[in-house]
Amino acid sequence: MKDPAANSRPSLGSLLLKSQRRSFLGIEKQRAIRLFFASNSSVAIIVLVLIMLFLLREGMDFLPTYRHELETYRRAGLEFCDIIDRPLADHQQLCSKLRRAASASLNTVTNTARRRRDAAYEMMREVEEETRLQSSILADALVQIPPALPEHLNSVRQELRKATLIALERLQVSAVLTVAESQQLKSELALLSPEVLALPPLVTALSAEYIRVDDEAHTAFKPLVDAVESFEAVPDVLHTLLDEMKKHARETKARVTEIYGTEKQPPRQESVDFIRSIEALTSRVPELMGKVEEYALLAKKTAAALPREAGTPQATELLSEMRGLLPVHLAEMRQAAAGLPAWRHDKPVSYFDVIVAFFFGEAWITNSSWQDFFGFVPLLIGSVLIAVIAVLIATPFSVIAAIYTNQFASEREQEFIKPIIEFIQAVPSVVLGFIGISLLGDAIKGVSEWSWLQWIPGFPIQERLNMFNAACLLALMAVPTMYSLAEDALNNVPRSYLDASDALGATKLQTVFRVIVPAAKSGIAAAVLLGMGRVIGETMVVLLVAGNRIAIPDFSAGPGVIFQPAHTLTGIIAQELGEVSRGSAHWQALFMVGIVLFLISLLVNWCARAFVRQFEFNKS
Amino acid sequence: MKHFLSISLLLVLCASSPAIAQTKLRLRGSDTLGAKLLPQLAEAFKKQAGMVSFDIAAEGSSTAFTNLLTGTAEIGMSSRKVKPDESADFRTKGKDLREFEIAWDVIVIIVNKNNPVSDLKKKQVMQIFSGDIRDWSEVGGNPGQISIYTRNTSSGTYKDFMGLAMKSREYGSNSQKMAGNEQIAAEVGANPNGIGYLGLAYAHAKGTKIVTIEGAIPSTAEVKKYPYARPTFLYTNGEPAGTTKQFIDFCYSPVGEAIVTKVGFVPKSRAK
Repeated sequence: MKDPAANSRPSLGSLLLKSQRRSFLGIEKQRAIRLFFASNSSVAIIVLVLIMLFLLREGMDFLPTYRHELETYRRAGLEFCDIIDRPLADHQQLCSKLRRAASASLNTVTNTARRRRDAAYEMMREVEEETRLQSSILADALVQIPPALPEHLNSVRQELRKATLIALERLQVSAVLTVAESQQLKSELALLSPEVLALPPLVTALSAEYIRVDDEAHTAFKPLVDAVESFEAVPDVLHTLLDEMKKHARETKARVTEIYGTEKQPPRQESVDFIRSIEALTSRVPELMGKVEEYALLAKKTAAALPREAGTPQATELLSEMRGLLPVHLAEMRQAAAGLPAWRHDKPVSYFDVIVAFFFGEAWITNSSWQDFFGFVPLLIGSVLIAVIAVLIATPFSVIAAIYTNQFASEREQEFIKPIIEFIQAVPSVVLGFIGISLLGDAIKGVSEWSWLQWIPGFPIQERLNMFNAACLLALMAVPTMYSLAEDALNNVPRSYLDASDALGATKLQTVFRVIVPAAKSGIAAAVLLGMGRVIGETMVVLLVAGNRIAIPDFSAGPGVIFQPAHTLTGIIAQELGEVSRGSAHWQALFMVGIVLFLISLLVNWCARAFVRQFEFNKS
Repeated sequence: MKHFLSISLLLVLCASSPAIAQTKLRLRGSDTLGAKLLPQLAEAFKKQAGMVSFDIAAEGSSTAFTNLLTGTAEIGMSSRKVKPDESADFRTKGKDLREFEIAWDVIVIIVNKNNPVSDLKKKQVMQIFSGDIRDWSEVGGNPGQISIYTRNTSSGTYKDFMGLAMKSREYGSNSQKMAGNEQIAAEVGANPNGIGYLGLAYAHAKGTKIVTIEGAIPSTAEVKKYPYARPTFLYTNGEPAGTTKQFIDFCYSPVGEAIVTKVGFVPKSRAK
């Protein structure tokens, strides 16, 4: 007979069928599953937090390190030398204008002779280029050890002769040489060989003619040429003294590096006797101020010796431009010199100065033999301009495509268009970079040279690697993101809006553009912002294609500024991270750039979320 | 069965022994040396010595020193001499940096083939690359803004050129920093107003022409007469031993020197 306890034990079948609350280690099955999913999602959050902490740790050390660098810059006297050296660089701008004016004037006389000489040299170079292979064989045969047999040498010479004659057949004759001269030149070029060291007689004659005409031009424009030369020589009065001071400052700085190596936070610099080495510089302040005054007077005198008129209207304009800019430059120099006595080598560099120097500095100079500067503005402007242009290009395409596929396209068209646009995402960014260098750059440059497009500002463009090139490729990369998100936004417009509009008798077009698109506008705005976030973080394309010029683009060209090269935040990190030693100021500066990039991306994404939230709020 | 097991074990050991004996030489550093010269030397060395594999990455001379310091390279290729603060780094970490001068390289200035300018004075070269001269008409060419292409800051050629041609002045802010010699050649060839500098081995690119410096033609025959010639180096961490030593000796051997000449550099023994 079964005892009652045995009856209370369930059978196997009922055990398996009945849901039971089994627990393992105190955690029930349902809770365990929930915990598993929650932990997976929190891994993502933890990794993000760790990345932020890592970036902050590496980058925050930048402030003390850069402060130390700037303090050394001041204490060793380099800043003192730069007070005069920086404004002096503007002298070169003025010289540049004068040189251009002088050469424009001289050119009026020497133009023909120069073009003839250049045409002859060009023909000679072309023939040499075509016969390079044969002439290098002959050159090798002449010097080989053991010496080559005479028959071999003769046969090589024959080869060269034949190749030269073929090249001469194909040669284009320039219009600046007379027919007789071109014939003479051709017959002389037929004798070109590595064994003949002298230039063909006609080429020498044309060069001599050019030199003669050039001398004539110099005599004709003697006042202008002499004045330009003497103006170029004016800074010499300052350079000797400045070079001495710079050498002294460099030596002091080298002593600091030797003693303290590359430690990030060296102790206070008392071992190097700064006071004595600075006195060597500050004691010469009156001398330096005197030299600056001498420079200013000399510059004014030589500028006054410039003639009013130069050979061409262009040259005259350059001269008057230069005359207008000279007083400004001299005032700057005098002001800088007046500030010299007030300079102190032990004025402390505050953290505020460091932050200003980084966030508002306009020069990013690294690996320099004078002083490294980490100024962030040119990189920021490059990144932001490229991102803005890319978004401006991509938005019309993606939004219009989204409206079309969502509202107007048939089923078959939708199935065709959507996957193709989304397939663009599969193209690797480095492949797009290659396309940018080889195809797109040349295409844009070619289009910019069409005569009927010259009204566009910035055409014809100078560089084929520029911001616009990078922006086009980035726009291509952003289109799939923007397209999918915009399409989702359009899809999420409630059907009741569509029905209500139809009920009121609106046409399809009216419904789409007056009801649906405005209803989806914050979703579309979010799509655009997320596309921008994608674009700002792109590295490979901008590194290959944007031109890598670390300077603030010249905004005086108006909208044409987009055809200039620039460098970006992402590009500079990729380019320079391989060469920096861990822990140096340069390393930390790059991490600071990384932090700013990270923050910009976070900001853009946060704005996008805010838009979406507002959209959902409006909807309900 | 017993014999089968032992034979198969023996075969496996034999098959894996080449993998065990093969050494890996990692070379890091200069693009000037590492793009053409060192790969060719490596190929020739492998044919001769076998049992060695090379891993060459050329991202600029500065990367040679950072890699030697962290131990991720056996040989560093550099187209410039080591800087004082870099050798200070090695001293503080207790590592011994050894230098081997391998070849002389000539830095040539190239302009676009259609540019009438064919000769420049040394002072003009300095003024062009530091941004003082901005227009081709200032040096006798057709009016047009000069586009300057330089290497980037990790390059030894970049640093050497600053010292040899520019008296250590900084490059102008209008210079564009390209990643390697070939890219500079491509850009100058495509831009009629372009100017740049390259190692002689890369100078015969399409669309470019070499500029003579005050009449001096860059050539491998009289390399020290041309103003912008510089020695290039291989660096090792401590005295080289084993395969590293064999490779460096190979570079100095007649076969190695022939390869150096073929690529366009001047071997150390023939530089005059």
